[in-house]
Amino acid sequence: MSAISVKNLTVKYGSQTVLNRLSFDVEKGSITAIIGPNGSGKTTLFRALLSLIPHEGSVKIFQKQAKDVLSRIGYVPQKFDFDRTLPITVNEFLSFAYGRRSLKNNQICHEVRVDALVDKLIGELSGGQLQRVLIAQALIKTPDLLLLDEPSAGIDIEGAQAFYDLIRHLNTEHGVTVLLISHEINMVYSFADQILCLNRDLVCNGPPREVLTKEIIEKLYGPEIGLRGHKHL
Amino acid sequence: MQLLAMPFMQRALLAGVLLGALLALLGIFVVLRRMAFFSDGIAHASLAGVAVGVLTNANPLLTALGLSAILAAGMAWLERRTKIASDAIVGLIFTAGMATGVILLSFKRGYQPELVSFLFGNILAIQWSELILMAVLAVIIIIFIILKYKRLALMILNPEIAYLSGVAVTVYHTLLYVTVAVAAVLGLKMLGIVLVSALLIVPVSTAKLFAGSFRSLMFWSVVIAELAVLVGIVISVYLNLPTGAVIVLVGIGFFALTLAFQKLKRI
Repeated sequence: MSAISVKNLTVKYGSQTVLNRLSFDVEKGSITAIIGPNGSGKTTLFRALLSLIPHEGSVKIFQKQAKDVLSRIGYVPQKFDFDRTLPITVNEFLSFAYGRRSLKNNQICHEVRVDALVDKLIGELSGGQLQRVLIAQALIKTPDLLLLDEPSAGIDIEGAQAFYDLIRHLNTEHGVTVLLISHEINMVYSFADQILCLNRDLVCNGPPREVLTKEIIEKLYGPEIGLRGHKHL
Repeated sequence: MQLLAMPFMQRALLAGVLLGALLALLGIFVVLRRMAFFSDGIAHASLAGVAVGVLTNANPLLTALGLSAILAAGMAWLERRTKIASDAIVGLIFTAGMATGVILLSFKRGYQPELVSFLFGNILAIQWSELILMAVLAVIIIIFIILKYKRLALMILNPEIAYLSGVAVTVYHTLLYVTVAVAAVLGLKMLGIVLVSALLIVPVSTAKLFAGSFRSLMFWSVVIAELAVLVGIVISVYLNLPTGAVIVLVGIGFFALTLAFQKLKRI
C-alpha cells in the first residue's frame, strides 16, 4: 500500500522546469531516500508534496490531498535560520508546534534524547542537539509519515550514525514511513529500502543495490564523484 | 501630583500605558522576523494617510490607520507573490507614501504645525475620541497576541513547520503586517513618524539581554516599555521637553544601563 503516490508531477518557476513529469510511489512503512546534486529539485519536491507550491500532476498522501492529512506528517526542514539571541527554550519551541505547555515527561523527547535539553535555549544548542529538537518537533504529533530534508547535514559522523539509528528505530518500532533527502550516498545505500535519484527528471527509482550503479551515480554527479566516493558499488 | 489631576496628563498616561504594552509585544515579533525596516517604512508611508485626513477634514489618525492597514496587507501579498526583495518593497512603499504625503500637504496652507506633530508626536495633545479608538484597537491586538503568540512565533521561526502544525501561514503573515502597521500609526500620536519604531525595537532589545525564555521576554519587554513611557512623560512635562524624544532616550538609557550591568557581571 502506498503512503505517497505521485503521478506526472511537474513544477515550473516561470519558464524554467524544476521538476519534470515525476511519477513514483512510496510504500507504507518503508524508508525512501531522495538523492541528487545541488539544484536538482529535491527540496522543491518536498514543497510540492506538501502542496506548498503550485504544481501540475497528482500528489496523494495516504490516498488524500496533502492539506487533508497534515496532522499525519512530520517534517524536519533543511534550514532553520533564526535570531539565535532570542531567548526561546526548547520546551517553548516544542509547545509552539505541539500546543501543550510542558513536554518534560514526553516519551518521544526521551527517545530522541531531548528531555535533558528542554530548559535550554534553542539559540545555544549545538548543530546535533538542534537537529534532535527538530526531529522531536516532527515526532511529537506521532506522524505516520516523516519528511526529512538533509537531516544529518552539519552533524559529525558519530552524530549522523546515531541519527540514522534513530530513524531506523522509528521505522521498525513505530512503523513510521520515512522519506528523506540526503547527500550521503554511502549511508543511504545500506539504510534505505528505496532510492529516488533526482535531477529535474526521475533518473532512478528502486532498491539501492539495483539502482545505485556506477552509471547512475556518474549521471547524477559526474564521472569524478561517481568513481571516487562510491568504491563499494 | 497636581499634574496628574489634569485631564491632558491623564489622557497622555493612559495612552502611553496602552501603546507601551502594544508596541512592546508586537516588537518581539518585529525583531524575531527582522522586520524593523518594515515598521519604520509603514510609519513613514502613513504620512499619505495623514495628508488625506488633513485635506478632507477627516480625522488624520483614522485615514492614516486605513491607508497603512491596506499598504501592509499589500506588502505582505507582494512579498509572497513576487520575487521583489522585502526591503525593496518596504523602500518603495516608504518613499511613495512619504512623497505623496508631502505633496498633498503642500496644498494645505499652514500645514507645518500639523506635519511637525505627526513627524515627532505629541501625546499631551491627545483627545478623548482618539484615546478611545486607541484603546479599542490596542486591546483587540493585545488579546490577539496573548492568544496566538505561539502560532505567530512558529510561523516566523519556520513557515513549513507552522503549516504542518495547522497554522494558516498566509493569514497570520498578513495579520502580523497589518497589526504592526496599525500599532505603528497609533504610536504616531506619542512618538511621531520618525521615532515610533523605537518603542517596537528598544524594549525587546533590552529584555533580550537577560530574559531566559520567550514568556519572560514578553513580560520584561512590556515592563521596560511601560517604565520608559511613564518616566519619559513625567520628565518631559517637568522639563518642558518634547515627550516622544524623551521617551525614546529613557528607553535607550535603560538599554545602555542593562548592557553595562550585563558586561560588569561577566567581569
